[in-house]
Amino acid sequence: METMGTKNPNRGNFHQRPSPPPFAAVSQSTTSFLSSGPVVGSEAPAFRPTPLSAPQTTRPFLSSGPMVGSEASGFRPTQTGKYDDPSIPPPPSSYAPPSVGPFQRFPTPQFPSTAQVVFPCNSALGQPVFSPPIRPPAGHVPSPPSSLHPQPQVPYVPMGSPPQSINHVPSSMNVPPSSLDPSFSAPRTTLESSQSAFPGYPSMPSKVVTQPPPVQSTPFATRQGGYGPPPPATSSPFLAHQGGYVPRPPVAAPLGVYSREQMPHQGSGPQMGAVQGLTEDFSSLSLASVPGTTIDQGFDSKALPRPLDGDVEPKSFAEMYPMNCSSRYLRLTTSAIPNSQSLVSRWHLPLGAVVCPLAEAPDGEEVPIVNFAPTGIVRCRRCRTYVNPYVTFTDGGRKWRCNICALLNDVSGDYFAHLDASGRRVDLNERPELSKGSVEFIAPAEYMVRPPMPPRYFFLIDVSISAVRSGMLEVVAQTIKSCLDKLPGCPRTQIGFITFDSTIHFYNMKSSLTQPQMMVVSDLDDIFVPLPDDLLVNLSESRTVVDAFLDSLSSMFQDNVNVESAFGPALKAAFMVMGQLGGKLLIFQNTLPSLGVGRLRLRGDDLRVYGTDKEHVLRIPEDPFYKQMAADCTKCQIAVDVYAFSDKYTDIASLGTLAKYTGGQVYYYPSFHSAIHKEKLRHELARDLTRETAWEAVMRIRCGKGVRFTSYHGNFMLRSTDLLALPAVDCDKAYAMQLNLEETLLTTQTVYFQVALLYTSSSGERRIRVHTAAAPVVADLGEMYRQADTGSIVSLFCRLAIEKTLSYKLEEARNSVQQRIVKALREYRNLYAVQHRLVGRMIYPETLKFLPLYGLALCKSIALRGGYADAQLDERCAAGHAMMTLPVKRLLKLLYPNLVRIDEYLVKASSMADEFNISRLPLMADSLDSRGLYVYDDGFRFVIWFGKMLSPDIAMNLLREDFATDFSKNQVTLCENDSEMSRKMMAVIKKFREIDPYIYQLCHLVRQGEQPREGYFLLGNLVEDQTGGMSGYLDWILQMHRQLQQNA
Amino acid sequence: MVCEVILWVIFFIFNMTLLALDFYQIVCLSDLEADYMNLYESSSRINAVIVPEFVVHGLFCSLFLVTAHWFMFLLMLPIAYYNTMLFIKRQHLIDVTEVFRFLKAEKKYRVIKLSFYLVLLVLVIFRFVLSMLNSIVDEDDGVHGSWWY
Repeated sequence: METMGTKNPNRGNFHQRPSPPPFAAVSQSTTSFLSSGPVVGSEAPAFRPTPLSAPQTTRPFLSSGPMVGSEASGFRPTQTGKYDDPSIPPPPSSYAPPSVGPFQRFPTPQFPSTAQVVFPCNSALGQPVFSPPIRPPAGHVPSPPSSLHPQPQVPYVPMGSPPQSINHVPSSMNVPPSSLDPSFSAPRTTLESSQSAFPGYPSMPSKVVTQPPPVQSTPFATRQGGYGPPPPATSSPFLAHQGGYVPRPPVAAPLGVYSREQMPHQGSGPQMGAVQGLTEDFSSLSLASVPGTTIDQGFDSKALPRPLDGDVEPKSFAEMYPMNCSSRYLRLTTSAIPNSQSLVSRWHLPLGAVVCPLAEAPDGEEVPIVNFAPTGIVRCRRCRTYVNPYVTFTDGGRKWRCNICALLNDVSGDYFAHLDASGRRVDLNERPELSKGSVEFIAPAEYMVRPPMPPRYFFLIDVSISAVRSGMLEVVAQTIKSCLDKLPGCPRTQIGFITFDSTIHFYNMKSSLTQPQMMVVSDLDDIFVPLPDDLLVNLSESRTVVDAFLDSLSSMFQDNVNVESAFGPALKAAFMVMGQLGGKLLIFQNTLPSLGVGRLRLRGDDLRVYGTDKEHVLRIPEDPFYKQMAADCTKCQIAVDVYAFSDKYTDIASLGTLAKYTGGQVYYYPSFHSAIHKEKLRHELARDLTRETAWEAVMRIRCGKGVRFTSYHGNFMLRSTDLLALPAVDCDKAYAMQLNLEETLLTTQTVYFQVALLYTSSSGERRIRVHTAAAPVVADLGEMYRQADTGSIVSLFCRLAIEKTLSYKLEEARNSVQQRIVKALREYRNLYAVQHRLVGRMIYPETLKFLPLYGLALCKSIALRGGYADAQLDERCAAGHAMMTLPVKRLLKLLYPNLVRIDEYLVKASSMADEFNISRLPLMADSLDSRGLYVYDDGFRFVIWFGKMLSPDIAMNLLREDFATDFSKNQVTLCENDSEMSRKMMAVIKKFREIDPYIYQLCHLVRQGEQPREGYFLLGNLVEDQTGGMSGYLDWILQMHRQLQQNA
Repeated sequence: MVCEVILWVIFFIFNMTLLALDFYQIVCLSDLEADYMNLYESSSRINAVIVPEFVVHGLFCSLFLVTAHWFMFLLMLPIAYYNTMLFIKRQHLIDVTEVFRFLKAEKKYRVIKLSFYLVLLVLVIFRFVLSMLNSIVDEDDGVHGSWWY
């Protein structure tokens, strides 16, 4: 249990406790307890950890990892309770006997009836508490700290059974490790003296294990409820591992089986010791019943872990540091920062954060706005950190210490406030910047290089024949017109238009005119802008002209037969018009740019290129013009959103570059047809125009000394090494970054992160949004795994993989994802496997149980899957661009979409949409019942799958069409009609859409057996199945397992 | 023999030019790194001298070839080849959108080039001095001319 040992020092620091009793005492006690066998029963010795082995408590077989994980997290908060006041510099970590922890908390034998309680709340109680309280049984069971409550599911194996149960060696294995210790320890004598040490052992505390029934303290009892009855014991060895994956840990019974079949080798004393010590929280997946054999058929793939509850944000982090900003805004890949370079190199997963600075906050949790008008914003003199909840005031309130660089700053007179007895400012509660992790400052004039810009929208619209024919032009004009009243920033908002085909058309919208004047420029080589001042006009002044223009736009080009597209020159013209102030440029492009600078050629249909070294060239812009334009746009604060509509190749790789470096977004509507995509385009364009947007923004993330952000991933451009230039930001954009240690060893206890986004709001105010978070520094790899956040790890993986596809083959990008996951799991395995002889078993940390699945889903995502035939190049690039911007939650949904069966709900009479509870199904073909109706929802579209044997009533009711109709013609649509069933269906769809309002999900109807639609829409996306040359989930796990074993 | 001296003077000038161009780029990159210069300016300055540098290098190299200084020519060849490859792949210019991602690598590459040119400079000066001595010796007595070679 070196892990525990290593962990302890940190804990010790957290608690700021005086160092616990000397090690010597402990060791004696251990010896003594070894001898105290009799109490435990004959098998007891098996559990006795030898002094050394004891610390490594982890029951290897305890497949019930999930629970353990949760408990661990549950406990975190307790330690932090003390910790959260950063002002108190933690004492140097000269905590002598780190490994002592585990041994120490054995209660005296005298109290056989008492629970061997480990205190959940050491920290809560305060350090001094320990040894005495343990004695009286009542005292042991402190009411659990509030932090524990949220995790009722802490897997408690009912230990309430009478003492004899102890003899049951095998069954006890199942017990969550931490609980193990205490329970067995009861018999051990003489250890009490050392108990005081156990506060260092925070993760244990919640486990109250009592032997005799009377002892069952209330907390325990409540917990137990959560577990429910143990599942029926199953005889097959395979079932045994079930415990590991099943979300609700069905702990106990199967383990019994386990212990018999799997643990024979444990019989010998010393090994047992190791087993017993297990207190680590990992899950294991037994993939082979006997070491060496692989199971394929017998293995039950149902037992694999699946994120059917969607993204679960790590709670422990927020609980540990309640003043941290919400995880909506900032998510670290692991909330435990490694303290040394060597630890970083052993952490094979990305180390970094995903930041979504403007994430939408639910009502009531809006970011408070603070105006420092008279004083100026309070910042650290040296590192420019903004004042935040973690700064500490000293010297009677006259000075404050920066939490990031530790510099003492003076408090200006206007900001001065006295400190109360505990050293906190008396006005703490009135100052959100000192109590909230997220806050928004109103920036004074020093933060402006020019007056705040008004919101500016400029439209660059393709009016060539395909744009007109597809109906795009009409829909766009109508949508813009309907949004004019809702554009943010009225009355300062400005708007302008350019249309183009083989020539460029400018529109003079001067307010004095009644009709817009059109000016045509046909010299594409030497663009000039006529009337530069009247092309981009104030909306409220020129409203009538703009209305007139939008009304006539589609009719104006109705008969246009021009097939050319002078996109490049038009873009340059738009740049010249907008250049002075910047704004948002919306490009509607229908064909491949064919004239002038920036013209592109058809590429990507060459099958032979795939698999060669030139493959990646297809995914990067062909013409440097696009990169140059993107750079120029960012320089002038222009954000570009690209809407691409073509049914043929439009080179999203090149066009998307414009969005990539300007903080924009790519919307792709393959084969746009207004009859089908009208609603979608309307919704998405309206959202793009009306959502709250931050203009001319820059973002920087600061962090404590010794740590540095080294690379950034997302849609933006770096303006200097750590400054992200974002011409426009909104709530749908997230940015990922990786950090590195600058020093070989971190000496601080905590690392602080501060995200600062300086922007102009639509109302014309310059603001700074600041998110602050703290994370502990740890010296233990196991702790990092315990604090890992799958969501942000996957998000970073995804961005890294997509960036990799820009310079390598798809194959290599996929391999690197897989390799990194394997390496991480191997490292984890090495932490525990040796002691626990986990041969034939795949172990993984509870926090990362979904990582392999998400890794697989990532490799099968449109951006990375297969080769030439598996996804159209444009679709691939568009998916790649989308994934680079998605916030964590949406990305996870895209990777592992919801699959829901709804026919039962529809048929059931008198149920309302509200009652429909989403129970997600595993994404595999086996989940589909041919008598059912399913909705597949990945946040971007719905696929509604009609089983072959679905009752014709349902189809008839929903579609008003005979079921036999061919869906592929797109004529069959789901629309509300007068039947009850249809109304219910639409209500469900509407409900789903409300969950993800960012995109309008189109419904694609698919009938079972209808090829190739079924394969394209649904079967190809069932990530757990074997598709397109990629292995299925089970194979993937086995494959990983094999790789793990190879070099283990 | 006088022409040999002149030739080495020309080589010396070439070499100094290359050194200067390279050094200039490194300075620009360092400024960029330290945030003294914005990336647009920095990369446009660097990009402005990259092609001239390649051309000078190419001329330098071919001049060695033409004047039959084989050893020096071979020394110059790898970099000339590398430059050509970059140029053909259109990767020779600094990509303004991704400068920071490749900043370290670009700087390293230029520092290596700079040190190469410094070594070259030592060689050139040495040969230059030799040829000068030679020509002086030549003038004194034309018999024991080029025993150095």
